Amino acid sequence: MLFLLASENNPVNHVLDAPVRIGGMEPYSGLTIQVVTLFVGLLAFMAVLLFASKNISTGHESLGHRRYLSRGRIAQLIEVISLYLRDEMLAPVMGAKDARKFAPFLLTLFYLILSLNLIGMVPMQDMQAITGTWIEDAQLAVVGGTATANIAVNAVLAFFVFIVIQVHGFRQLGVKGWLEHLCGGHELVAGPKGLWLVVPIIFVVEVLGLVIKPAALCIRLFANMFGGHTLLATLLMFGGMTWAGTESGLMTAGVTLLSGIFAVLITFMELFVAFLQAFVFMFLSAVFISLMSHHEEEHDAHELEGATAAAH
Amino acid sequence: MNIFLLANEAAGSSPLSFKLLPAFSTVVVFLVALGTFAFVVWPKIAKALDARDEKILGEIRAAEAAQVKAKAAQSEFEKRLEEARTAADDMIRKARAEADRQADELRTRSQRELEELRLRATQELESAKRTALAEIHAVAATLATTVAGKILKREIQPSDQKRLVDESLSEMTSR
Repeated sequence: MLFLLASENNPVNHVLDAPVRIGGMEPYSGLTIQVVTLFVGLLAFMAVLLFASKNISTGHESLGHRRYLSRGRIAQLIEVISLYLRDEMLAPVMGAKDARKFAPFLLTLFYLILSLNLIGMVPMQDMQAITGTWIEDAQLAVVGGTATANIAVNAVLAFFVFIVIQVHGFRQLGVKGWLEHLCGGHELVAGPKGLWLVVPIIFVVEVLGLVIKPAALCIRLFANMFGGHTLLATLLMFGGMTWAGTESGLMTAGVTLLSGIFAVLITFMELFVAFLQAFVFMFLSAVFISLMSHHEEEHDAHELEGATAAAH
Repeated sequence: MNIFLLANEAAGSSPLSFKLLPAFSTVVVFLVALGTFAFVVWPKIAKALDARDEKILGEIRAAEAAQVKAKAAQSEFEKRLEEARTAADDMIRKARAEADRQADELRTRSQRELEELRLRATQELESAKRTALAEIHAVAATLATTVAGKILKREIQPSDQKRLVDESLSEMTSR
């Protein structure tokens, strides 16, 4: 990253998407490195999860009781994460039945976002830049960047959540119930006529909420990933900026060392954020889906609001 | 510098600019990921987890059943032990009572026999005493008579003899 950042004066540029370049050309018009990273993330997602699922599944009877144990650390890790998310995170929010029903969708979101976040931490652009100097292709850029730092990627993921929330709402509440939900619920619509005055206000708020909820998911993930990588890039640029300003080797070394230490610490934090944001996206999706469930009750709503506030 | 050019080119775009290709790619990627996860990965994981749950629940149920059986066996054992203890206590009590009874009987019989023996001895002693006295009486009478006869030089009649003996005896007794 230092190699690239040394030539830049704006840390945001390093986090932004860029076209794929091979041999100084853009062979595929419009194709960007983050799109390629997206597919690399998909391959990583599939490879790890297919491998893990094979090793989690019940083994041959000849293994005896051990056939029920997951084989290998990756499989055990995936199993522990999946089990924890389903039984300890989703089930208390959605209920055991809905947790089982939506686990494939929500865990796909979690693992895909996690894959993209983690791949985004690998300095692939820098590795290509170094490789490019050897093969005399200084502009070489095929893959790299964090796909979840791309607003379009997150918007599509949030759109899928929006679709699931609304489909679940229609199936659970019916069209009439869904409209009542938008108007503040059956208690308000069928309640005293004096309260009808607030129905239009609630309707506007709820309709805006339909969009704001997934939009918040999209922007939160984007802001965290983009902001984190921008901070990291900023820290790593300090050395170059010091050299440009002072041309003092000693000072540049000192600043580079200090900013490097901070960059390492921020990288660890980014690793945590990669997991946290994947979890938050999935968990809030679960909360929003469960808000449309038929069994929604007042105290459940309060609990969910509390959970949402905690996740924020 | 080429990298600088690349950076400048990227700088032209906004972080919030929405591009169709990444969006469309995300649709494809997500659907493939969802399909893979929902139809291949998750069924295997869920099935394995359910099988393990069933296995664990089965083991727990079997352990609980074994525990119930063990408790029943233990209570049966304790019941039998209590019965055996009660029977043993009963036997000991009976034996002790029998021993006491036999001891009492033996003691009573011994005392009775001892008393009979004492009575018999006393009677025999009395009898012997009486016999001895009678013999002494007779000898003394004879002797006294003889002596008296000699002294008096005359024949003493049986009535005299008896009177003399009684007198002698009275004297002897008074002495």
